Amino acid sequence: MTASRRDPGETRQAFAEYADGGDERQRNRLVEEHLGLAHQLARRFTDRGEPYDDLVQVASMALVKSVDRFEPDRGVEFSTFATRTIIGELKRHFRDKGWAIRAPRRIQELYLAVRPAIETLTQELGRPPTVAEIADTVGASEESVLEALEASQRYRTASIDAPDRQEGSISLRLGQVDSGYEGTDDRMLLVRAMAELPEREQTIIRLRFVDGLTQSEIASRVGLSQMHVSRLLSASLAQLKEAFIPEV
Amino acid sequence: MTGSGDPSGEVRTMSEPVELCIPVQSDLIVLARLTAATVASRAGFDVEEVDDLRLAVDELCVLVADGGTSGRLTLSFITDGDVVEVICALDGPAGVEEEGHPDEHGERELSVRILDALVDEHGDEFDDGQRRGWLRKRSVRHQPS
Repeated sequence: MTASRRDPGETRQAFAEYADGGDERQRNRLVEEHLGLAHQLARRFTDRGEPYDDLVQVASMALVKSVDRFEPDRGVEFSTFATRTIIGELKRHFRDKGWAIRAPRRIQELYLAVRPAIETLTQELGRPPTVAEIADTVGASEESVLEALEASQRYRTASIDAPDRQEGSISLRLGQVDSGYEGTDDRMLLVRAMAELPEREQTIIRLRFVDGLTQSEIASRVGLSQMHVSRLLSASLAQLKEAFIPEV
Repeated sequence: MTGSGDPSGEVRTMSEPVELCIPVQSDLIVLARLTAATVASRAGFDVEEVDDLRLAVDELCVLVADGGTSGRLTLSFITDGDVVEVICALDGPAGVEEEGHPDEHGERELSVRILDALVDEHGDEFDDGQRRGWLRKRSVRHQPS
């Protein structure tokens, strides 16, 4: 969160320079600039039994991998390339952790057979297997295999249940990629305004807008009720908004 | 639907769309994911492509619901050779106005980015008071050896 934001053209240029024998400092900055994407994607997989911090770690590692492997000449935006890589790693993470799924024993046991079957078939065939091939290998129906795979992935529609779209924004998506601040002035203003908030409120703001946690998740983190968190958020946002209102 | 499981690897086509109508509730979106996975599997998609489509349909539902928590989503799943197309429409009051809707939390932007990464084509529109979205994903059609 310390790197100043570059516009898309500058970002493309930065990737081109890094691909052309760049150093670790350039790489770190590119990673830092896109950490918000890793957080956002990790959040899409939360509340399914895996600690959010673990998911962020998986997503962040995938982001580093994306920066290293990205080829700017291919004409694909980095965010698209990184999104695919990060989702792939998150999928793999859940597939590896599939034994811990909260599902009927029948599904859990089937998944214990499905997971190694996918690996074996992928090696044997030199490509990912079809569901029919997996079903044939483990001696189950395609529908059962699909059910086991669904249970293992535990993807969620975070947005549909998110209760907090009405919370004010004023460019407070601190970790968001390719949007948000139009200029460094706003950013500096916000940083100064944040510093004026009590430490607890700063933590809550960061958990909400950088880590992307829901109010309920924040409440359990900081030991307050969801209502209390909501009130603190509203008050903090109002205070931050004040910082953007020009003095007359 | 005319397709079926196909250990021989031959991809079959579906002449009729599969349709699903569900309330806008996250715990019911699983039905859309499972339907997408089933349709893709029967179209010969490999397991990675099936997973991609599963996630993409999830995002399409998010995109079309657009922050709403009421109304109903109607989804159509159509197979055309090695392409699966999914159309999703929202019926009810959950939609928001097309113009001037602030994507304050970047949810729409994130959904679009995820769809960019997972499918070949996608789009969404707000027309005649109804929000709709669609996606298309093509299988690379690996033939079993």
